[in-house]
Parts: sequence; structure tokens; C-alpha cells
Amino acid sequence: MTTEISDDALRAEVRAWLKANYRPEELRGATLWSSTPETRAWLTKVLEAGWATPRWPAEWWGRSLPEHQARIVEREFAAVKAPGAGQDRGNLYANTAMAYGNDALKAHFVRGILTGEINMCLLYSEPGAGSDLAGIRTRAELKGDNYIVNGQKVWTSGAMTADYGMLIARTDWDAPKHGGISFFFLPMKQPGVEVRPLRQVTDESHFNEVFITDAVCPVDNRLGAEGAGWRVLQTALAYERSVMGDGARGPRNASAKVSLIDLARDAGKLNDPVLRQDLARVIAYRRLNDLNNARAKADLKEGTSSPIMSLGKLAMSRILHEEARLRTSMLGAASLLEGKDFPVSDDANFLSLNAYFTSIGGGTDQIQRNIIGERVLGLPKEPEVDRDVPFREVRAG
Amino acid sequence: MSQTTTEERNAIQASVRSLMEDRNTEADVRRVMETAEGHDPAVWQQLVELGLTGLVIAPEFGGAGLGPVELELVMEETGAALLASPLLSSSVLAAGLLTAAGDAAVNKRLLSAIAAGKTIATVAMTGDAGTWTADGVAVSARADGDKWLLDGRANYVTHAQLADVLLVLARTPAGIRIFEVAAKAAGVTISPLPTFDRTLRLARIDFAGVAAMPVGTAGWPAAEAALQLVLVALAGEQAGGARRMFEKTVDYAKTRIQFGRAIGSFQAIKHMAADLLIEVESATSAARAAATALDAAGEGSNEPADAAIHLAAFACADAYTTVTATAVQMHGGIAFTWEHSAHLYLRRARAQAQLFGAPAYHRERFLTALGA
Ligand SMILES: Cc1cc2nc3c(=O)[nH]c(=O)nc-3n(C[C@H](O)[C@H](O)[C@H](O)COP(=O)(O)OP(=O)(O)OC[C@H]3O[C@@H](n4cnc5c(N)ncnc54)[C@H](O)[C@@H]3O)c2cc1C
Repeated sequence: MTTEISDDALRAEVRAWLKANYRPEELRGATLWSSTPETRAWLTKVLEAGWATPRWPAEWWGRSLPEHQARIVEREFAAVKAPGAGQDRGNLYANTAMAYGNDALKAHFVRGILTGEINMCLLYSEPGAGSDLAGIRTRAELKGDNYIVNGQKVWTSGAMTADYGMLIARTDWDAPKHGGISFFFLPMKQPGVEVRPLRQVTDESHFNEVFITDAVCPVDNRLGAEGAGWRVLQTALAYERSVMGDGARGPRNASAKVSLIDLARDAGKLNDPVLRQDLARVIAYRRLNDLNNARAKADLKEGTSSPIMSLGKLAMSRILHEEARLRTSMLGAASLLEGKDFPVSDDANFLSLNAYFTSIGGGTDQIQRNIIGERVLGLPKEPEVDRDVPFREVRAG
Repeated sequence: MSQTTTEERNAIQASVRSLMEDRNTEADVRRVMETAEGHDPAVWQQLVELGLTGLVIAPEFGGAGLGPVELELVMEETGAALLASPLLSSSVLAAGLLTAAGDAAVNKRLLSAIAAGKTIATVAMTGDAGTWTADGVAVSARADGDKWLLDGRANYVTHAQLADVLLVLARTPAGIRIFEVAAKAAGVTISPLPTFDRTLRLARIDFAGVAAMPVGTAGWPAAEAALQLVLVALAGEQAGGARRMFEKTVDYAKTRIQFGRAIGSFQAIKHMAADLLIEVESATSAARAAATALDAAGEGSNEPADAAIHLAAFACADAYTTVTATAVQMHGGIAFTWEHSAHLYLRRARAQAQLFGAPAYHRERFLTALGA
């Protein structure tokens, strides 16, 4: 890898570019799940300037920058809270497409995903298959140039606004459970796909049930070979978990973005020695996770991968639950309240519920611990009763 | 000492359980929690008929004259079923305060009406501090001729928006005293508050020159006595709620299949369940021991009830929040939905951990009671 620009020159270039182009006030109104024309225009600009995918080559709108320089770009964007940079690391859809899509799929999807033109969702979980994703029963059958898909998905975040869903479906019922799965980009806007919102504990409706009846999926939208979907899924899950390990939604009331220390000060408890111990412990969880991540990234730069990468999501789950607990206890009786008129209370309650997004979504803490034990530490695997059985004979529940 | 036999207690508990099963199903709870009143007047009538609204009120005022032991058992059942009701505010907290204040004339009128369920009363005890301690009282009373006038604010008042009568703790030059105010009296502004636990009703009350009637002469010590009773009742609700959510979770772990086996066969789930069982059993033991201790103290026992009551207050609060929070995790995605009951219990547990003093406060009181 050759560096054609010095770190300082790069940093100056990004900074100048952001100064000339970034207008945060224009980007308001976009949500987690759908973009606005203004955000799409911005993301397009970022892409065309080479900042969306700085690690990728020019033919994929990149600059072939080495890892540490790509991080410089990301840091400059983060410093002014500008979205869209470094998606070659953080965009799980684009990365999965690049890793496993054929040329037609890449040409068709990647740019739109990076610019927000194409909204995506994850069609993995089913009522009977959550932790045990290899137990899915949605079926895809090849008929001519298309797969015909039937089944039901659940907990699908963002399905209402999605144009395509990354779908895992069973294509072979005689193979053992992991061997008969294929991975697709399923078009969501078609008569065979019905999305029904579910009300969440947070009283929001971001996740959905998706009923799929004779939906059509072009054969070109398959990633990887037929029956090789489990491997594609592992790549996609690794991206998802690394994103979840980096952070989560913050407070939902913009007026209440107070730090734990500010909150302690506001509550008049900053001198309480018991609280100070608790405060130090909880703030340290996030600091230590940041230090772990920084060290993992340094390892990555040197071309080795770090087992730390697998710890981030589990660590983040503890961080979020503990921060919410501390917020609640500092608020005391005020935590009895919710709603816009009580933004700080509302956030403490929201954050304590939303922490489960990280401790359950994307693979539960228990599953993460199993993965760390087995894949990182090499501890013997739990016996799996249905691992080598033809899927037709597997027990469902 | 409690005069009821074990059979009688079992009968009381069974009758409350069957009322809950008939009239307070989860569907009922969800319907009632969305109403403005936040309780079902028809179920209130049933509580009256079972004698629950006068359970701890003396027979001379039309009550059943039972004590903390029976109260705790009843609350285990209402807590398990997430009953939304002013029972705790009116028939425990207000009734306990009036009983402790011992103003014969007021009691004859008010306690009888509370026992009969005709009057709903509540106690305005704490200000914005939300501490339920003497320090937290933020209403003041001044004498104006032979009248008293109240000014200031009470906050986090349970079921104030339903109440006919407010019993207000207020500061006078001679210390804290208890006053009676009609909820509709001139100068009283009751502002309902949006609660995270939607089965609960809370309000802020502002007093502006409100004419009030003093109740007896006992001040804060009567409030302490009422708090002891309400903490025992609350501990019962927490123990009952924790147990119910725990049972639902263990049932689920036996039936939910992943990887070709019940999730309860995974040690991760099994160990969480075993740990929670310690919490559930400890909560029940603590709540019942607190009830027994308070009962004995009421009969002049020298054994102070303080340690047992404050132990129950934080042990039950912590057990309930731990059990409900872990239950969500043990269920997975299904418990992240509004339709699932787990969050109703979690919300209730988080709220009850703040009402009438947070766990940290009760831990301190526990230590003080132990002489530390
Ligand atoms: C907010 C949110 C958003 C989500 N968004 C999406 C989405 O967009 N797309 C999507 O496909 N899915 C999504 N999910 C689903 C999520 O991935 C699953 O909920 C999760 O993988 C758990 O599956 P489950 O809910 O079926 O629970 P189960 O798998 O039934 O788990 C129940 C319990 O058993 C435990 N358990 C299961 N297996 C084991 C084991 N082998 N060892 C130890 N313990 C075990 C679990 O840890 C859990 O405690 C979302 C979930 C949430 C909460």
C-alpha cells in the first residue's frame, strides 16, 4: 500500500472540504430508517468526494487510503458530526454486497445504499428462529430466473421504509440446517411482501412483522452460491455487531443530552462519595471499551486481527444497561415520570428499555458469550443436537 | 399480635386471588391503565365487598381490624396481578396516617368513609425533592385567626387526581403537622403527571392559601407510622409481582425451543433462573418478616420493626427490578414488544423502587436501625 498524501495534508483537505460543504441545518428531519432528499444530496456529495469509501479504489468512489488514513477521514467527519464517511467499514449492507455480490448486484445496489437512495432492512429472525438463525423456515424456490419466496420474518427493524431486505431463506430441506440456506436482496416493494408494524416497549414502532407470500426475487439478487448463505450471513453479522459495539441510539430528547457527571451535578449529588464510586465505575466501562477498540484498531493496522473485536457488542450492552441504571438512580423520584415535559426522566426510562436493543438485537448477550468462549477462546463447543440432521427432521418450537 | 388463623389468612389470600383472576386479567390491566381514572370503579366495589378497603381500619370505624400480616398477603396478590387501584393510597397510606394521628372526630368521619370505599383519600407528603422524609416536606401552614392556610407544593402524590380528600403534611412554626383538605377546595391545583408505569397515577399539587383543618396533634411521627405500613404493603406487592414474572419466565424457558432444545436447557438461562429464585424467595421472606415485625411492634413488642421494614423496602425493590429486568433478557425479542407483559412488570418495578423512598435511603435506615 502506498500513501500518496501525508496525514497532515489529508487532514487539512478533509477539514477544508467539510468547511466548504457541510451545512448541518440542511440535514435535519432524517430519521434512523429513512433519508430525506437533503440527506441523499449530502451523502452523494460525500461519496463523490471520495470520503464515503476512502479505503476502496477509485472505481468504487474511493481513494485506496490505508486504514489509518481512512480513520483520519472518519475522525474529521465525526468531529463536526457529519454523517456518511467511512461507510466501507461501517455500512453493513454495502460491505456484504461488495464481499459476496456478483458484478451486476454490486453495480445495481452499492452506490444507492451509500447515498441513502436505497433503504435496507434485515430479514433474518423468524418467530421460531432467533438465536438459532440456522433454524429458519422461510423457503425460496428457484423458478426460471427468479426465486419464489414464502415465509414469515419478525423483529425486522426499518421494514416499513426499506426498498430491499437482506434475506436468509432455506433453499434445500435435505441438507443439515446450516447447509441449506441462501442469502438474498429481496425487493420489499412488491405485492408478496406485507409489513405490519409492531409496538415496542419504548412505545415506538421501528420493528415489524413481514409476511412473505409468493414474493419474487431475481436470481441475480442472490449473494454467494445457493446453499452458501450461512457464510454470507456470518460476514453480515460481524459488520452488524461491530457497529453495535461502537455505540447505540442516545437520549431521544435532544434537550436532555446531559452527561452522567452533569446529571450528578444537577442533582446536587456530585459530592456524594457513594455516588462518586458508582459514577467512576460506570464512566470507566465506556472509557475502557474505547481503549480496547483503539487497541484493536491499532492491531488491525499492523495486519493482525484482534480478539477484542468480538468483545465490543457485549461490552456495549453492559455500558448501556449500567449507564441507564445510574441515570435512574441519580434522578430518584423524578424517574417516575416520562414524556416531553420531563425530558431527562423520559431519557432515563427510554435508555433503560432501549439498552435491550443491544443486549438482545443482533444476537443476545448469551449468544455473544458463547461465541467469545468458542471462537475466541477455543473452548469446546456445546453439543448441538440438530447440527448434522437433515433439516426436515429438526425439532421446531 | 395478628388474631387470624392460618386458614383464615389463606382464605383471604385465595379470595383476592380469585378476584384478580376474574376481574383483573392482563387485558383488564391494559384497558384500565389507558383510562383517565386509572382504576376500575366496578373492581373497587368488589374490593369494598371483600372488606379490603377497610382491611387495616379498626372495627369501630367499620373496618376489618386486621393488620400488616394480612395486608402483606393481600398485596402479594394485587401485585402479582398488577392491580391498578388507589387501594394503597387510600386504604393503607391515608388510613395508616389517620389511625396513627388518632383524631377521634376526624377518624369517625373519614376512616369510616375510607373503609366503606366511599371516600378516596391520599397523603401529600413530599415536595419536589421526592424523598418522603421530613426534610422533603414543602408545604407550609400558617394560622389565620382560628383557621389554617396552606401554601407550597407537594409532588409525586399517589392517586391525587382520584382523591376526594387530601391529607397534607405541612410545616408550622411548631413543627410538621397533618391537615385535611378537600381535593376540590379553593386554591388547590392538582396537575396529573405522565408516569412511566402507566398503571400508576401521580400528581403534583400546588396550594395557594388553602383553608385546611388540622388532624390531631401528632406530626411527622404519624407519617413515619403510615410509611411503615405502606412499605410493608409495597414490599408485598413487589414480592408478588417478582414471583409472578419469574414464574412466567421459567414457564417460557421450558417451552421455547432454539437449537432443537428448550432454552431452559442452556446453562446461561438455567443459572439466571436459579439466581432469580434467590431474589424471589428473599423478597417474599423479607416482606413477610417485615409484616410480622410491624404487627408485633403494634402490640407493644420491644423488638423494633425498623430494621425488618427497611430491609424489606430495599430487598424487595431490588429483587423486583432485578427479576423483571433479567426476565426481559431471558425472553429475547418477544419481551421487547408492547404486547408482552414483561414491560408492564418492569415499569411497575422501576416505579415502586422510587415510591416512598429509594433503595439507597432504606439501606441507610436499615443500618441505623442496626445501630451502625
Ligand atoms: C430492538 C430489536 C431489533 C431487532 N431488529 C432485528 C432486525 O432488524 N432483523 C432481524 O432479523 N432481527 C432483529 N431482531 C431480532 C434479534 O436478532 C433476536 O431477537 C435475537 O437474536 C434473539 O432471538 P429471539 O428473540 O428469538 O430469542 P431466543 O432465541 O428465543 O432467546 C431467548 C433466550 O434464550 C437465550 N438463548 C438462546 N439460545 C441460547 C444458547 N444457545 N445459549 C444460551 N442462551 C441461549 C437467549 O439469550 C435469550 O435469553 C431485533 C431484536 C430487537 C430486540
